[in-house]
Amino acid sequence: MAIVAQSSKYGDIGRAILAWAVGLLFFFPIFWLVLTSFKTDADAVKPEFLFFFTPTLENYLNMTENYDYWRFATNSVITSVFATVFALAVGIPCAYAMAFKPTRATKDVLMWMLSTKMLPAAAVLYPMTFLTKSLGLFDTHFMVIVVLMLINLPIVIWMLFTYFKEIPKEIIEAGQMDGVNTWGEIREILIPLAWGGIASTALLCFIFCWNEAYWTVRLTTTEAATLSKLIEGNRAPEGLFFGRLSAVSAAAVGPIIVLGWFCQKQLVQGLTFGAVK
Amino acid sequence: MSNRKLPRMLQSPAVILLLIWMLVPLSMTLYFSFIRYVLNNLRRPEWTTPSISNWRGLGNYEFVLKSKDFLFAIQNSLLIVCSILFLTVVLGVLIAVLINKSFPGQGIVRVLLISPFFVMPAVNAVLWINMILDPVLGLQGIAVAGINETVAGLRNTPLIGGFFSLWPEFNPISFRATQTSAYAVIMMVTWQWTPFAVLIFMTSLQSEDQQQKEAAILDGASAWSQFRFLTLPHLGRPIAIVVMIQAIFHLSLYAEIEIVSRGNGNKNLPYLIGEFANNNIGAASATGIFAVILANIVAIFLLRMVGKTLME
Repeated sequence: MAIVAQSSKYGDIGRAILAWAVGLLFFFPIFWLVLTSFKTDADAVKPEFLFFFTPTLENYLNMTENYDYWRFATNSVITSVFATVFALAVGIPCAYAMAFKPTRATKDVLMWMLSTKMLPAAAVLYPMTFLTKSLGLFDTHFMVIVVLMLINLPIVIWMLFTYFKEIPKEIIEAGQMDGVNTWGEIREILIPLAWGGIASTALLCFIFCWNEAYWTVRLTTTEAATLSKLIEGNRAPEGLFFGRLSAVSAAAVGPIIVLGWFCQKQLVQGLTFGAVK
Repeated sequence: MSNRKLPRMLQSPAVILLLIWMLVPLSMTLYFSFIRYVLNNLRRPEWTTPSISNWRGLGNYEFVLKSKDFLFAIQNSLLIVCSILFLTVVLGVLIAVLINKSFPGQGIVRVLLISPFFVMPAVNAVLWINMILDPVLGLQGIAVAGINETVAGLRNTPLIGGFFSLWPEFNPISFRATQTSAYAVIMMVTWQWTPFAVLIFMTSLQSEDQQQKEAAILDGASAWSQFRFLTLPHLGRPIAIVVMIQAIFHLSLYAEIEIVSRGNGNKNLPYLIGEFANNNIGAASATGIFAVILANIVAIFLLRMVGKTLME
């Protein structure tokens, strides 16, 4: 028995070391990106594993000058925030009706919504370009917001639906007894009760909007261009500007990674539509 | 207001918006796919405006089917999606089982592991192709050069020198090249999405029946048979969901392909559509319809597999 216990102890240590190695391996590219962002452009292209060097903030301080970073970042914030807000404004009433007043069609509607996510964006690339250009909406914040909202709406509704389903119907019905109308029900009962779920839906929607790289690249040039467009436009610096490119990349992904750390659990529930708990 | 109308009214903004979003551009694509429509043609200027008088019937479809890139793009789409799915699921299960038992720093390892999932695709591609995979300046080039140097040094040592002189000089691989760019894309997307699979499998493992497991241990079941007959069946549903969600995302992969090689040797259907759309809108639209059909086949298959479990 003692032998068994001891060998499993060594097994535990081995397992912990292996787990740490895997974790560090997966994080290493991000670490390397951040490390490179503190190197001068000259240090960044030295063909050696350069771990010890004189760090510089130059790349971050010159982000505006080199890449006009803040304009793109502002666009990313504006479009992602508004797209999220509108998706929730449309999604909450919809998910409320589906969760508390389901009809026979509800399941099919939900499935159909998910299937719109499977429509390949590229299939409608030219019509979308054509429509936005002829409506004079090309390269406008409005258009980016509308598109971001629409591509995320199915997931937002699904997530909200799974959260709302967990709320006992009786609580909502009690409100009806008190003579509260539907909007009152949503505003005063549902939203306070499902606040956590709504917040994580919003967070996930925001992350998806921020990282979106098809329509934001294809439907903008300068005015409404987001960080995805900025990075994509500087894709091949041929080694010359690794330092400054790393800084702007790190600045583009840093806030989202930190946000992501806080919503890991909700992410699972949301992305699997509550099917994995 | 009647009890029946109300739910419909609350759902209608979302339904109408999604319906417009789906139907309007798609029917335009369908229309363009049946006419001659190009952006620039000096000889036939009438083709540059969409019009029913430029009807081409199935001509665009024929053109696309005959183009040498089309079959390649479909093969490549499937190669990329299937490789990523296979790698993320296998790695995801292994890593999830590995870090599921508690150990010192489990929380930190979780945070480290999940981080790649939140990196925006454009940054992912720029980071991997330049700073990691570049044959000279990237970590790959540096590592290969380091190995070569070490081997060269060892050749002159007594005793083992003879062994090392048999070693060839290693060459770094250029991942922007025609034959290899697809692998670069597979690598970077696998790096980004394995954390997603791990996260979901881990969550699922936490609800695994511990009593059953203890019973199995008492019965003397080996670690392998515990994994094979208890853990793996338990992960069936999460695996199906991971496959479905990833298939949705990876069939429309674009930014990574654009950044790695501008589609050189590595076109998938979305990329081919983008290329056609630079001039030949008719062909781009026909390719788009093929992409929709492919996505539908995959979707029907996946929804059959997962749809029911989602609806419980």
